[in-house]
Amino acid sequence: MIDGILGFAVLLVKIAVVLGILLLLAAYLVWMERKLLGRFQVRLGPNRAGIFGLLQPIADALKMVTKEDIVPDQADRLLFLLAPAVVTATALLMFAVVPFGPDLTLMGKIVPMVVSDINVGLLFVFAMSSLGVYGVALGGWASNSKYSLLGGIRGAAQMISYELALGLSLVPVVMLSGSFSLVEIVRAQARIPFVLIQPVSFIIFIIAAMAESKRIPFDLPEAENELGAGYSTEYSGMRFGMFFIGEYVHIQVLGALVAVFFLSGWRGPVLPGPVWLLIKMLAVAMVMIWIRATLPRFRYDQLMEIGWKVLIPVSLINIVATGALMMLF
Amino acid sequence: MADEIKPESYEKRLEQEPQENAWDAVRALGQGFWTTFRHLFRRPITEQYPEERRQLPERSRARIVLTRDPDGDERCVACYLCSAVCPVSCISMQSAERSDGRRYAEWFRINFGRCIYCGLCEEACPTSAIQLTPEFDHCRRDILSLVFEKEDLLVDHTGKDKDYNFYRYAGVATRPEEKGTHIKESPPVDVKSNLP
Amino acid sequence: MPKLIIDDISVAVPEGTKVIEAAEQVGIHIPRFCYHPALGSVGACRVCAVKFLQGPFKGVQMSCMIEAADGMVVSTTDPEAVDFRRHVIEWLMINHPHDCPVCDEGGHCLLQDMTVSGGHGMRRYQGKKRTYLDQDLGPLVQHEMNRCIQCYRCSRFYQEYAGYRDLGVMGIASRVYYGRFGPGTLKSPFSGNLIDICPTGVYTDRPSRYKGRRWDYERTPSVCIHCCLGCRITVNVRYREVVRIEARYSPTVNGHFICDRGRYGFFYASSDRRPRKARSGGAETRPKNARDEAAHRLEEITARHGSGSVAVVGGSRSTLETLAAERRICRQLGWQGPSLFTGTEESAAARRAAGHLTTDLAVSLEALKNADLILVAGADPINEAPMAALAIRQAARNGAHIEVIDPRPVTLPLEYVHRPAGTDKISEILRGLGKPSTEDASGDIQDLAARLDQSRRPVVVCGAGKIASERTVEQAARLARNLRRAGKKAGLFFVMTGANTFAACRMAGDPADLETLLLMIEDGKVRALVVVEADPMSEYPDLARLVDALAKLDLMVVLDCIDTETARAAHVFFPTQTFFETGGTLINNEARIQQARPAFAGGTPISQTGGGSHPPRVFRDDIPGTEALSAGQLLMDIVSALSGGISRSVEEFDGVAPEFSGFDPVEATGERGTWAKLPLRTAAGPDSPQMGGETPIKKGELLLVESVYGTEALSRSSPWLQELESEPALTLHPEDASRWGLQHGDRCELSTEAGALTVPVHTSRSTAPGTLVLPRHRRLRWQVFQHFRSGLDTVRIRKTGGEGA
Repeated sequence: MIDGILGFAVLLVKIAVVLGILLLLAAYLVWMERKLLGRFQVRLGPNRAGIFGLLQPIADALKMVTKEDIVPDQADRLLFLLAPAVVTATALLMFAVVPFGPDLTLMGKIVPMVVSDINVGLLFVFAMSSLGVYGVALGGWASNSKYSLLGGIRGAAQMISYELALGLSLVPVVMLSGSFSLVEIVRAQARIPFVLIQPVSFIIFIIAAMAESKRIPFDLPEAENELGAGYSTEYSGMRFGMFFIGEYVHIQVLGALVAVFFLSGWRGPVLPGPVWLLIKMLAVAMVMIWIRATLPRFRYDQLMEIGWKVLIPVSLINIVATGALMMLF
Repeated sequence: MADEIKPESYEKRLEQEPQENAWDAVRALGQGFWTTFRHLFRRPITEQYPEERRQLPERSRARIVLTRDPDGDERCVACYLCSAVCPVSCISMQSAERSDGRRYAEWFRINFGRCIYCGLCEEACPTSAIQLTPEFDHCRRDILSLVFEKEDLLVDHTGKDKDYNFYRYAGVATRPEEKGTHIKESPPVDVKSNLP
Repeated sequence: MPKLIIDDISVAVPEGTKVIEAAEQVGIHIPRFCYHPALGSVGACRVCAVKFLQGPFKGVQMSCMIEAADGMVVSTTDPEAVDFRRHVIEWLMINHPHDCPVCDEGGHCLLQDMTVSGGHGMRRYQGKKRTYLDQDLGPLVQHEMNRCIQCYRCSRFYQEYAGYRDLGVMGIASRVYYGRFGPGTLKSPFSGNLIDICPTGVYTDRPSRYKGRRWDYERTPSVCIHCCLGCRITVNVRYREVVRIEARYSPTVNGHFICDRGRYGFFYASSDRRPRKARSGGAETRPKNARDEAAHRLEEITARHGSGSVAVVGGSRSTLETLAAERRICRQLGWQGPSLFTGTEESAAARRAAGHLTTDLAVSLEALKNADLILVAGADPINEAPMAALAIRQAARNGAHIEVIDPRPVTLPLEYVHRPAGTDKISEILRGLGKPSTEDASGDIQDLAARLDQSRRPVVVCGAGKIASERTVEQAARLARNLRRAGKKAGLFFVMTGANTFAACRMAGDPADLETLLLMIEDGKVRALVVVEADPMSEYPDLARLVDALAKLDLMVVLDCIDTETARAAHVFFPTQTFFETGGTLINNEARIQQARPAFAGGTPISQTGGGSHPPRVFRDDIPGTEALSAGQLLMDIVSALSGGISRSVEEFDGVAPEFSGFDPVEATGERGTWAKLPLRTAAGPDSPQMGGETPIKKGELLLVESVYGTEALSRSSPWLQELESEPALTLHPEDASRWGLQHGDRCELSTEAGALTVPVHTSRSTAPGTLVLPRHRRLRWQVFQHFRSGLDTVRIRKTGGEGA
């Protein structure tokens, strides 16, 4: 009984810490992105709110919160209100299965450094990721606006297409680690990170993950010069802010997943586990920002071509090759 | 019509496009990333406006003024060309006859709340009276204070055009004795002469 | 019908048509400066050059000088012709000053347009420019000779078309000068047309000098309301102020021109003295309060004295809509009136004239130009309807014989025969002429009778109102009808007293005139008066009697757009909109229905709303000074506030008068250029039996007449026309003058039982003996007579000053 209550309390603490760090990091990821993009483009980036513009995220948050929350007359009200929550919630939930350190022994009890170690963690990640599509598609549809609808359709098509490649790219990882549990996958990389064994999987996963998070060069659902702001055109205030947070949480989750699946998770010399995970997450995020600063947006047909004609066949071949090699050695 | 693009020839062209090999593609990609990466370490070129103020060129287009001719008289003759050409209709005026017979603007009003600083008024002005100046930062909190009257617009210098005086060329006299005394004018003819 | 080909378009035109006109018929506008449809060709400017490819002429020729002929092939776009025109414009521009920015013509300048469209954008001539000294041409026209391109339009209009000699062309070689011999005010009452016809800015409008550009004006087609002719005008409004009136081409009414009274009479509309607030008991009040008070008091009076104790007085400057509203109200509520005329005789004459105007007899001003004999009887065209004089001159230029039978010293800018005859004599002469055979005519009119007999298109121009009597009108109509019976295309043209007199004739109720109504007021029968756009106190000849009568009233309600003495005497006053603001329908002297659209929404002009050196810096969502409504609407509003009142739209005409059942002014006026006429009887009805005999004149008579400036109700307040007024004087025959020991230039006192006034004396041999002529001028307190025509037995004349005194 006591154990149960204690376990529950520990769980709550873990959830609180993870949520807090995730949201804070999301805010400062925005700052970092703006600052880095500025420098990539030989500008200064935000530098007015606080020193180095460090208070910019707070100012932005205040602005978002105080703005009028507009629901268009013709919108489907319930779905319209629900959509941003779906996007944010699924992104946050995905982090539940990410391990961020070695087990900790607290008062004689082993406390796993993961919110929830479920043995089908990887499938859970995919499930959440797939649910995230609903946020985009519903938001676009419920707005009852042509730009939003087009954005929503593009989002749904893109995310479903790239989910396949995402899933297939991880099959070799599962084959190598022999488990769907993310904790187990990290454990399997104790000797050597999978990125060195599975570079093809790594590249496919990174590309598909970026497409999942709808970032440049895959930002077709919110292509501002064609669609206004895509599925979020009709949103304002904090509801728009939730889409925004969702996107940046998604980046962190993807960073964490890349770290877990390919960069041996929290493992690393000298520094404690969570710090290593943080470093790896940020490194992935920075690479994504760098890509954003370098590459232009894909055309829709190119997007589909890469997804279906390149990534999926290559990942299938990779699976077969991995299987064959595992049979041989 | 060799260059005419037909569907089949377009397809053909696609096939004829030099197929780059994978290495070229990777190298091109790498070049792109290298370029952006290098920019990360360049010094930002941003000018921090309120602290750093650059001297703008004399011909940059911002706040509008009404200049005076070299003799110190108002240049504006209220011909309505600027208000006619203004694409946002922000200029209005009333012409009138001054006591000495000169045409002038009884009142002249520019609504800077509407002005888009396109400079067409300056281009249309036949007397170089209306001119745009580089002074661009004159925003106000009260929109009505952006409506400038003639006394706000009139300056006591000639602006960019230093020595043009419309009345020396126009050939219109405000006083009878001025007739035929302007630049490139012969004295008034003697109507009653019979000489050929 | 010569057939020719212009720019590959084939066109057949009547014999004698110039090529430039033929091109216009197929929609090709050939550039021109000197050619004008009303003035004809002169070939002075050389800019209408076109190339003749085939036919009797070859090469580049002036299209305004060559008559269309069979087989002609003309190209207006031939490179040679285009090049020729381009050079013509360049040399016309050689001496033209660079003063477009300060020239009022800029923006609607023909020379400017042609220079730009001809491609002459940059001056190549670097030599010295010719200059001229300008002249002061009076308050209306500004002169700037430097701009002249020597097209001769002004002198041709002024001397040939209008018939005045004081402006013309002089000098030789490159010193050709258009102007007067010396500076001075232009004598012609048509001088404003110089501004319209000058292709550039030599003559510009002085009252609107430096007021604005054509493109900034709200321009609305309208109708002139300063006389009975109803000339078409264009109203130019800017910043809620009527700035300028221009002539608008009308093929049937005024042609291309208008007179100066019509062009400069509009200043009442934007005057700072125009009343803009309702008044009750002399104090300003809200319109609703005034309306309630007027309705309440009217109700009280009708309750106590019956509905016949209220009367409506109107005038002929109201629109048809207002007059119809007056008539409907009087009929339905049992009120007296509407009384739309001042005197009984005037009313009888005007209504008889309107009754006699039949479809076949009524002629337009344009038709008047084509007459071959014009008999002017009891009318003074230049003073009563100036454009009629211009039309008569065109007839005279075409060879018509003009004969004037009038007691006044009528002056017309043309050759004519004047027979000074007393008002009682005019009808006698007309009756003599109207007899079936010339042998019956008495001796002194035999030559006229013979001329009439030879004429093919004679027109009788007859006054109908204050001077020409009912009998004169009757005889004039009878003469015209007899001439038509004799197989001639005879016409009848009445010169009426006001812009809408014809409509007033149909809308007047009982009593139709103020003179009769006054008797009812004096009897105590009428206790309340509603005066709509009329000013009896400056129109009625016997002011003392009128003032006494008005003092007996329990209530006087006045609705007017100008500040009048009557308005100041009103118990309740309502401001109304001017014709420029309401628009409306007018019926001119030939029963032509003309509709004007509102030119602007009204309101106090921006120049009067005051904001220091500039307009007010206040944003407001209403227009200041727009409390006024149209008089008809206001009348309906007051009446609908009465219990048992009527509330109907002002635009409804059903049941007002027989001709107006189902009348729709928009439908009636039709499209531009097809102005319909009011349905007239096709044949004259039987003569009215109750026509009284001519009032016997004892010892001669004194006529109260109209003059071109200073008498008409609206234009007399125009400051610019006031400068042009000649000093009002008593005009009489020198022999008559010697009866009272008077000489030209003396001053005399005219006194009656009602009062006295002192005026200068002018003598003129063209005045009928026994007739004294006095203008109803705003500068005179002339209202001391019983009638507009008073017998001299009631007038005492005494010399008060002069050379002898």
